[in-house]
Amino acid sequence: MTRRLLSMLKLALAGMLVAAATATTAQEPIRLGLITDRVGPAKPYADPVTQGAVYAVRELNAKGGLLGRRVELLIEDDQGRPDISATAARKLVDANVAFILSVSLTPATLQAQSVTKETRTPHMTPSNSGDTLTTAIDNPNFWQTGPLGSTQIATLLSYAREKKFQRVALVTDNSDLGQLTNRFFKAALEKANIQIVAEEVVPRGSTTADPQMQKVRAANPEALFMTGVLTPENTLILRSVRQLGLRVPVLGNYNMSVPQYTQVARGLLDGIVFVDAFDPAKPEVKAFVEGFRKEMGAEPYNLNGYGYDGVMLVADAIRRAGSTDKDKVREAMQATRGFVGVMGAVGSSYGFADGRRTGFDPNGMVVRVYEGDQQGRVVHVGAR
Amino acid sequence: MGDFLELVVSASATGCIYALVALAYLLIIRPTGVINFAVGEWAMLAGFGGFVFLFTLNLPYALGMAVVVALMALVGWVTERLTVRPLVEKGAPPLAPILALLGMLVVFREVVSLGFGPDPQPVPPALGHGRLELGPVAGSYQSFFIIAVTLAVFAAAWAFFERTLAGKTFEAVAIDRRAAALMGINLSRVTSLAFAAGATVAGLAGVLVAPNVSAHWMMGLPLAIQGFTALVIGGVGRVEGALLGGLILAFAEQFTVRYAPVPPGLAMGVPLVLLIVFLLVRPTGLLRAREART
Repeated sequence: MTRRLLSMLKLALAGMLVAAATATTAQEPIRLGLITDRVGPAKPYADPVTQGAVYAVRELNAKGGLLGRRVELLIEDDQGRPDISATAARKLVDANVAFILSVSLTPATLQAQSVTKETRTPHMTPSNSGDTLTTAIDNPNFWQTGPLGSTQIATLLSYAREKKFQRVALVTDNSDLGQLTNRFFKAALEKANIQIVAEEVVPRGSTTADPQMQKVRAANPEALFMTGVLTPENTLILRSVRQLGLRVPVLGNYNMSVPQYTQVARGLLDGIVFVDAFDPAKPEVKAFVEGFRKEMGAEPYNLNGYGYDGVMLVADAIRRAGSTDKDKVREAMQATRGFVGVMGAVGSSYGFADGRRTGFDPNGMVVRVYEGDQQGRVVHVGAR
Repeated sequence: MGDFLELVVSASATGCIYALVALAYLLIIRPTGVINFAVGEWAMLAGFGGFVFLFTLNLPYALGMAVVVALMALVGWVTERLTVRPLVEKGAPPLAPILALLGMLVVFREVVSLGFGPDPQPVPPALGHGRLELGPVAGSYQSFFIIAVTLAVFAAAWAFFERTLAGKTFEAVAIDRRAAALMGINLSRVTSLAFAAGATVAGLAGVLVAPNVSAHWMMGLPLAIQGFTALVIGGVGRVEGALLGGLILAFAEQFTVRYAPVPPGLAMGVPLVLLIVFLLVRPTGLLRAREART
């Protein structure tokens, strides 16, 4: 008797479980995974990109979600470490995400690909700039939609050619990315037959850049290229440039577009030109700025735009795929053409032509100039 | 020549910052034997103090600086109470407080990174960002201000140790803790004071350097390393050693970058070579402690 009752109970329980399971599938959200760096060296970049992604998901849900389902963003912290990044990717795959976005360091994103390649999970980075991310591993499930490092160099060089600089100085820092950026700039300058008359390093933790800038002053260049990526050290350089009375055009890499400069380098910025992928005059940017301000209660800037565009590109692919089936989503993502986002110059768009998996328009970056202490107008477009 | 003198001012200012950090180490090592690598984070905390009181609240410079310095003394005192004293009272081995303070280094840094975010923040200089030219000698206002404040601090520290009874109790504890305790010197009071003074001096270094480097959560560790190198060069025996060590280190750094024919990436290795040479050849530093006087 007891046994019969027990088996009946078991049956009933099983039935309830099945019912519960079907009910959740019907309204199960579409999960997107995001791997960020909350405590490591990429934090100053990864945090705002993540904010942009969070905002994009809120906007999607406010407009009814995706394929009639709510969108849920699962955020993992990899501390900028490749090993943890791969573990985070594994965890997200186990949570059944439809797509993974990586916004941490380039090496971490590379390592996370080992998981997404094996599990055939769609994976992209909206912000990493490493040139070899899509070529180092043959992973058809991975895309890169931020501008490549080589694109920012080509854009700034095209501006320098326009200005006909012949003798230039390079100054960088001793961070990995700073050294890498400097190496690429140097190679490109040499290829363009522009003479490098001074090359200096201001190491992380310096308290002054005076000796380095004295050497630059002595070399008397026609322009100074800043290839470092550490904001405090770059501020030191600008302070020394001003202190030592160097009258030379300063050309900043992408890092100079970080709006924090308007706080810490106040009074030092006027006339400095810098590469950016954000054109405030673009209609998409205006809509984004307004929406972000309302929803997140803060003024957005370029880095927020990367996270936003990343989520929107993924949403577009899932919408066209009509499901979260990994193969269908992969095909849809690869078929992306002419997607106009927040980032990129007016007239540029994202797309993966000719089987490439880098989606940013090579002529989509701009050169802008600081006017007073504000990031001002666009003075040059593209890398032609 | 103009370049040379300009660089002398710049290197002196940097050397003074290193010297203050070295003095912060020294004030704690002398009476307690504890090497506190968190001095760099104390400088960082004070940098953010400068951001809050001098930039955000926009207090007058002297008042803001006084508030920050007072808060730093409190931070030093509390750090000792919470991390060092319980270990000493429980009879932990001498390495334990050093490790506990390394833990505090991480705590300070992460608290700031969570509280203020990863971006650098501005801290205003004492007298503006202008440039002072005295004949061929030229440098920023802040450089001259740093040098003046540092000399005053070192003069005060020297007078304290050489001319006051409280200073003599520090010296006595440094020479022989047990004997000093037997003479009725309150060891725990000396320890508390040492940590409060160390944090104050490290904090001064932070507020002084922050207008140049801006306050950011990663600024502590390089200062801690440079200050420690300066201490090794100068020796832990006497306060003048910290000043001498800081200046030698900064001059070596900046003159190598400016004049030595080495590739730019290698110049930053020179101070480390200096550290190794001193550890090998003269591990007690340039200035030795005086012998116990009778």
